[in-house]
Amino acid sequence: MEHNYRTDLWVDWCPGCGDFGILSAIQQSLAEIDKNPENYVMVSGIGCSAKTPHYVNVSGIHTLHGRGIPFATGIKLANPNLTVILDGGDGDILSIGAGHFVAAGRRNVDMTIIIHNNGVYGLTKGQASPTMPRGLKTKGLQRPNIYDSLNPVAVALSVGYTFVARAFAFDIKNTKDILVKAIKHKGTAVVDLLQPCPTYNDINTKEWYEKRIYYLDKDPTWDPIVRKADEEEVEKKYLQGIQKSLEWEEKIPLGIFYQNEFVPSYEERINNNIPTYFTDPPATSKICDGNGLPLARMDKIFSDRLIRK
Amino acid sequence: MSEVDIDLIIGGPQGGGIDSAAQIIIRSFSIAGYEAYGIREYHSNIKGRHSYFHVRIKDEEVRSLRYPVDILACLDSETPFVHMYDVTKNTIVLFDEDVKGTKLNQVLTLEPETKKHIEEKLQSEGYELTVSGSLEYMKKRGAILVPVSFRSLVNEALGPSKPPARYANTLGASISMALMGLDSEFTMSGIASVFGKKKEVLEDNEKIVKVAYEYISKNNGLKIKKLGPKTVRERYILTGNEAIAIGKVIGGLKLQTYYPITPAADESFFLEGHDYFDELSGGENETLRKSGVVIVQAEDEISAIAMAISGAMTGARTATGTSGPGFSLMAEAIGYAGINEVPVVITLYQRGGPSTGLPTRNSQADLSFAVNAGHGDFPKIVLSSGDVQEGIEDAVKAFNFAEMFQLPVIHILDKNFANSFYVVDGIDYDRMKIKRWKLPEKQEGEFERFKFTEDGISPMGFFGKNIMWLTGDEHNEIGHITEDPETRDAMMVKRMGKLEIAKKMIPLEDQAILFGDKDADVTIVSWGSNKGIILDVMDKLKQEGKKVNFLYIRMMVPFPTDFVTNILKNSKMIIDVENNYTGQLAMLIKQNCAININKYLLKYNGRHPTEDEVYDGIKKLIDGKSNRVVMTNGA
Ligand SMILES: Cc1ncc(C[n+]2csc(CCOP(=O)(O)OP(=O)(O)O)c2C)c(N)n1
Ligand code: SF4
Ligand SMILES: [Mg+2]
Repeated sequence: MEHNYRTDLWVDWCPGCGDFGILSAIQQSLAEIDKNPENYVMVSGIGCSAKTPHYVNVSGIHTLHGRGIPFATGIKLANPNLTVILDGGDGDILSIGAGHFVAAGRRNVDMTIIIHNNGVYGLTKGQASPTMPRGLKTKGLQRPNIYDSLNPVAVALSVGYTFVARAFAFDIKNTKDILVKAIKHKGTAVVDLLQPCPTYNDINTKEWYEKRIYYLDKDPTWDPIVRKADEEEVEKKYLQGIQKSLEWEEKIPLGIFYQNEFVPSYEERINNNIPTYFTDPPATSKICDGNGLPLARMDKIFSDRLIRK
Repeated sequence: MSEVDIDLIIGGPQGGGIDSAAQIIIRSFSIAGYEAYGIREYHSNIKGRHSYFHVRIKDEEVRSLRYPVDILACLDSETPFVHMYDVTKNTIVLFDEDVKGTKLNQVLTLEPETKKHIEEKLQSEGYELTVSGSLEYMKKRGAILVPVSFRSLVNEALGPSKPPARYANTLGASISMALMGLDSEFTMSGIASVFGKKKEVLEDNEKIVKVAYEYISKNNGLKIKKLGPKTVRERYILTGNEAIAIGKVIGGLKLQTYYPITPAADESFFLEGHDYFDELSGGENETLRKSGVVIVQAEDEISAIAMAISGAMTGARTATGTSGPGFSLMAEAIGYAGINEVPVVITLYQRGGPSTGLPTRNSQADLSFAVNAGHGDFPKIVLSSGDVQEGIEDAVKAFNFAEMFQLPVIHILDKNFANSFYVVDGIDYDRMKIKRWKLPEKQEGEFERFKFTEDGISPMGFFGKNIMWLTGDEHNEIGHITEDPETRDAMMVKRMGKLEIAKKMIPLEDQAILFGDKDADVTIVSWGSNKGIILDVMDKLKQEGKKVNFLYIRMMVPFPTDFVTNILKNSKMIIDVENNYTGQLAMLIKQNCAININKYLLKYNGRHPTEDEVYDGIKKLIDGKSNRVVMTNGA
């Protein structure tokens, strides 16, 4: 029987919330990839977006505000055979968890980070998130926003993410296609997911986006993928991605900005040091015999601390 | 009574090889069959500031250090100033002749406040403000001065091209050991075990040892003891940090996360050097297999604890290590582990707080915080260790308890433990058994990770084995969010109930131990690395006919309330000994047992408490001269 990727819980987002589109796209992408459902783990931080794992019928861990990345990392490092997908809010990932976002780019653990980019802190009633431009006054704000916004795609590229893409929550088919690629990518994939929040962000609405978005892959000359492991190629694709990321306001590109699978994943780097890492990962490695006696022994491992004449 | 009982301090600039000197001394004596124990004291600085190693050598177990010392080895011009109070009649003070004329003002590494105290002391006693002045002052206290020209001895050993400062540590250590009467063959072995890997360095250091021993034999009569032969046996030399690392690996550690901080990081650093190894395969015939431990240096402590928690939920035995500042950052996540019933171990090495406080000094002031860390009510275990043997075993038990009761375990230690050198024989694996508990079965369909069960503990689930949900929100048995009041009540009762289960299942000796007769006039209560000192002091007091016992508390949560209450309710006098200002263990006793303690022996200057000051302090408290004595030993 086909696995049902929906749970039967009532989904508690506001009507018209972009998160509904993202949720469908996630459920469809998992079905399309069709792994053993036990091998998926959905992770989230705290926020409206963070409810997502409860609505997907695979293991889910709803963690702490901003800490989704390290929680996801711990799962993957303990068991590299699992497929780990993180749903984070833009406040979650780019404000309180920004340090983790930077560090994760440098690690390149094989996992997927979906940023629910709604420009606001939804669950705390509409304060400006790091992606809201300065001067905007959405309906949840008392005064126009006096922070400048950051560009998630450019930040992701600059800290080393090896797959960076953008999608729009209400184009479920395209979002699903991008998520499938992101999940299959070896290394950390980041997807900046434009997510209308009809309740608090009355500026970046569904209609606002629909007027501006266009698809990078409609242009047959657009090739974001690093095709060979040479510096020139990497630099070319990287700069092209950065340049594209600067487009906003009039025209908003969707699709893959950059992908490079030549960078070793963090797990591969571990396996270089510990050659049994992939074959006998931490989560399933045996630690004692049938009588509970430990397998790791002082004289075998720490003989350098043994003092003899 | 130990025939041999020598305290030594060797001091010099940070980065000037005090660590190697410590290693040389400890290793040489333990190779020779003696018992040795020592602590490193140092500033939060990489190069230049004063650091020293205080070690005691006996022919029976060493459990404490003592002032005044028997030998003071000064490798630079600062040491005679800062340690001039640490000597007494017949203390041998070895110093560098070439710096005798150095003025106090020229010692730029001295902190102004320390300089002022020294200046006032020397001036009021009529000594000049030079190294010579401090030496004269020590001489008046009865010390025997042993001048050594570091420059000419290094020159004699290695020729003029080698900088004397680089060899001061080996020279000072060797001369000290020669003075203590240790046969040079052991010193040579000690040197070899420290520098063995680098041939040239080893050869140079061996020449230094030779010259040092010749120098002392020319100055006949200085030997404070001629040490007799001992049974020589192989032993391990471990710092407290290393002991915990070893205990964790034996206990099945598979993923350790950390963010660098003193005095915790040395544990992870040591693990990084031992992350791929041979171990038993666990099959019928004792073959070996390759295995490893993943050590992750995270971007901060929040990340470290988060990775450890989720790694544990995936099925690995995971741990993280930190000290006060990092532990403060972990507080939110510890509650997360509590509500999600995650078996994760947090090793907390206390250092002087608050804030950055005394970052390289000792403290026991994080007990209350560890007990209460995290918002909301949730169960955790807080356990402590007093010495290296306990430390290794407790590292295994911490994992076992975490797994049995599905909760975070905080293993609380301190800088004195972390930076002490201990000599241990080996491991009794029967005492280090791994308890696996309610491990998940592979299961189809919906899994109730938080199921209410007869025995009060839910079935464990791991990602990859079961489809399950975890959330920091209150949840139902499946792990989905609920704010239903009845479910909330039931979940609270289930989680908190595990503390009672733990209290029943954990052996009493892991919770608290009463040393000495039940019947006593005075009961000392204390915890952690004070254990050995108090045992030594208790022996001394007993010899004087005093009826003293010692209630040593190992587990702070859940608290062994009945056991402690039964002992303390009849005590005639209770003395609380702790390295903090507020008497945090006494507060915990009051909170749990409703027993007031009103005599305190405390220390919060960050330096290791010593046998003499604990002895003096307890006597003062017994005599009723004071109810609160603060210990102040240590430079
Ligand atoms: C440590 C901490 N600080 C603050 C909060 C309160 N809080 C809950 S959700 C949230 C913001 C959520 O915004 P975002 O991450 O953008 O997610 P969204 O709700 O927009 O999906 C905040 C600040 C919290 N849960 N934890
Ligand atoms: S507040 Fe905004 S983000 Fe949150 S559920 Fe409602 S519409 Fe969605
Ligand atoms: Mg948001």
